[in-house]
Amino acid sequence: MNTKDEQRVIRLYYERTGPLAWIAHLDMMRLFERALARAAWPVSWTEEAFNPRPQLVFALPVGVGIETRMDPVDIILEDPDKEFQVEDGLLRLRAALPAGVRIRAFEETDPRAKSLMARVTGASYRIEAPGILEAYEKTFRGGPVEVSRIRKKKKSTVDLTPRIFKAEGEGEDILVVTGGAGSQDHLRTDLLLEALVSYGGLAEDAAQGARIVRLSVFLDAKPAGEGIIVEMADA
Amino acid sequence: MDRLNHAPYRAMLRSINKPARYLGGELNAIDKSPEFFELDRKDRVHFGLCFPDLYEIGMSNLAIQVLYSILNRDERVFCERFFAPDLDMRQIMIEEGLPLLSLESGTPLSDFDLVGFSLHYELSYTAILEMLERGGVPIRSEDRGEDDPIVIAGGPIACNLEPVAPFLDAIFLGDSEEALEEITGVYRRIRSQGGGREDMLLGLSAIEGIYIPSFYQAAYLPDGRFEKILPLRPGIPARIKKRLIRDLNLAPMPNQPVVPNIEVVHDRMVMEVLRGCARGCRFCQAGFTYRPLRERTAKTLTGAARELIANTGYEEMGLLSLTTGDHSELEDLVRALLPMTEPRHINLSLPSLRLDSFDPDLAREIAQTRRAGLTFAPEAGTQRLRDVINKNITEEDMLGAAESAFKNGWDRLKLYFMLGLPTETEEDLAGIVLLVKNLLNLWESLPREERSRRINITVSTSFFIPKPFTPFQWAPQVSFLEMRQKQQYLAAALKDRRVSFQWHDFESSVIEAVLSRGDRRLAPVIEEAWRQGAYLDAWHEHFQHPVWFSALENIGTDLYTRERDLDEAFPWDHLDLGVTRRFLAKEWLESKAGRTTPSCYDGCSACGSQRYRTGVCPGGYMA
Repeated sequence: MNTKDEQRVIRLYYERTGPLAWIAHLDMMRLFERALARAAWPVSWTEEAFNPRPQLVFALPVGVGIETRMDPVDIILEDPDKEFQVEDGLLRLRAALPAGVRIRAFEETDPRAKSLMARVTGASYRIEAPGILEAYEKTFRGGPVEVSRIRKKKKSTVDLTPRIFKAEGEGEDILVVTGGAGSQDHLRTDLLLEALVSYGGLAEDAAQGARIVRLSVFLDAKPAGEGIIVEMADA
Repeated sequence: MDRLNHAPYRAMLRSINKPARYLGGELNAIDKSPEFFELDRKDRVHFGLCFPDLYEIGMSNLAIQVLYSILNRDERVFCERFFAPDLDMRQIMIEEGLPLLSLESGTPLSDFDLVGFSLHYELSYTAILEMLERGGVPIRSEDRGEDDPIVIAGGPIACNLEPVAPFLDAIFLGDSEEALEEITGVYRRIRSQGGGREDMLLGLSAIEGIYIPSFYQAAYLPDGRFEKILPLRPGIPARIKKRLIRDLNLAPMPNQPVVPNIEVVHDRMVMEVLRGCARGCRFCQAGFTYRPLRERTAKTLTGAARELIANTGYEEMGLLSLTTGDHSELEDLVRALLPMTEPRHINLSLPSLRLDSFDPDLAREIAQTRRAGLTFAPEAGTQRLRDVINKNITEEDMLGAAESAFKNGWDRLKLYFMLGLPTETEEDLAGIVLLVKNLLNLWESLPREERSRRINITVSTSFFIPKPFTPFQWAPQVSFLEMRQKQQYLAAALKDRRVSFQWHDFESSVIEAVLSRGDRRLAPVIEEAWRQGAYLDAWHEHFQHPVWFSALENIGTDLYTRERDLDEAFPWDHLDLGVTRRFLAKEWLESKAGRTTPSCYDGCSACGSQRYRTGVCPGGYMA
């Protein structure tokens, strides 16, 4: 079964807001799996005998407390006779998703194309916290900005400077930052905020209470979904 | 969810575990705000549905979904959910003075009209106090005023809530489905008549199944034993009858349940296939208090399954009851469900299968969809002791069922036993060990190609706890020392890499026993334990036995764990759950004589529930 010929891949771009921004990546996967089941999408399943899973590929996991605007997820369908009508399926899916997760755009992609996750090169975030712009300017003055992180129980330090591609303010309290993502030079927003507290004088409270929105995920150095955006009308 | 727009609230969420527990916003959750609040106060009832444990536990509970869906069907009622905050959240609530808020509209508990607790185990009592306190509701009924909610409790342990009676305004006995509308209706009527709290309680007391503890006073003998409980005023029933749904097919099922956004303990759709039990195991409270056994037909259940699948998207379906294997149409049901579940990769899980009702053909069908473990509950290691507890299963039955399970590919077996049962001796413990050995030998004796590749047997033990409304309500609980000896004996005797041995806390078993058969004198003990930090006591890692034993210092545990005299009064004698005290006493004597009693299928033993003439009882719809 499950050969690439019989598969179709529908790439969805989703926004998550409100309470749904506060669940973990695994919960997000489960939420999509169940919504797709309710909406009767012919999702392809992995063939492991003991723990088969629906085939969903999220471009980039999103942390607890981070909203998204245009995050891509690939839904692998088993649809050899091309019977599935994407538009109808989307209407059902939108009705099946809890308030707070919204499909903003979609496209059908080639099942043989390079995996979505492997194409991720970066992500941009909008971080709202009082005084964040000033703290950013104080922190990133050209030299290395080192923060420590714990990975596999080993403590190491990382320099955030090469992980940030671009940053600009929208007024004094909003920072829009684009950084690396995925396998290389991944920029974690919690580490960035930690650096802004340590070196830029950002208040601890401001960092903890920051509103963080992932604006886009970059695929092959371009914001995913750019140009294909079909702002879907409400059902 | 306006709170999420506030930085301090977001900061708080980032500092706690699983913030989604406190945020709601799940699929199928019902938020009637703001329209509901525009209704005239006289016409609406705001109902705070509370589960005194963490979100993951409460959202796994079918009763919460049943109550939530029935209450919210009425447009004049807005039912919202509350769960106990975990320790990290509770700490912040105390430090910051944050009240306990409902998941739907974020309203504090104190603003609700009715507050309903669904109670399932005694070790959750301290969480009732915690939720009331955090919600801004005075913990004692007598301290509540006209602006405070009416606090009502129900659930499987409602048959003896005397230890928490002073904290509750009303207690509900039995099946609640048909009574909810009466309760909210009485509330609206008395509110619109301008009645106060006292009128409200009086009005509620007229509903069958409602017990107002403050209308009764308990008396004790000079030696400390319980004497009697009597109504304090005229017009109040001396005995309170439970409510009963006569035909379970007519009771609504929550076919559009709230689907949590985070993983919960039982993360699946659930159908209650039958209520009650025909077997009469002498330790089992629910087995007596939910009599008579009433089934839902395969047709009712198949229809419900279709809706549940469409409305939830869950990957597992549980067929729930005390005794699912006894369902008279189980095979038909499973055959009707499999074509719906299999193509959708939905696992069908059948908990509490009884060995003697385990059908090999059915086993094969289920095994095709699921290769999980198989669970048996022989409860005792020898036939003699199984006769004492009326668990009418033979070793032959068990080996036969295990053989078909092994041949169908099962490689994990879980066996449940109770330690400290009345009349238990070392021989009975040796019987557990022997049974496990026989099961291992059976597996080894099967040809390799006919059995699973590996075998793992889990022996899970708990300590017997005497419960009200069972034949063992007179029985003692064994001492601490005996508990330890029994546990050590088994731990040594079950050393085998293919066997895992699990046992329960000694201390929490004692506290549970004290609370189970307790009276109102325990209310100050519970309050004291809670004030000293007891909370979420059902969690092994949170249970603080020194706090409990120090709170119990004056009254002691022996008064509650000892054997009771046959004619001794019980604090629950004024409650009518169907089964009669006379029947239970007869069963207690039968058990001492090692004699079994047939199940309701094999003839009526006149337990008292036959007067309902429904379900499996003579004259009932299943007879």
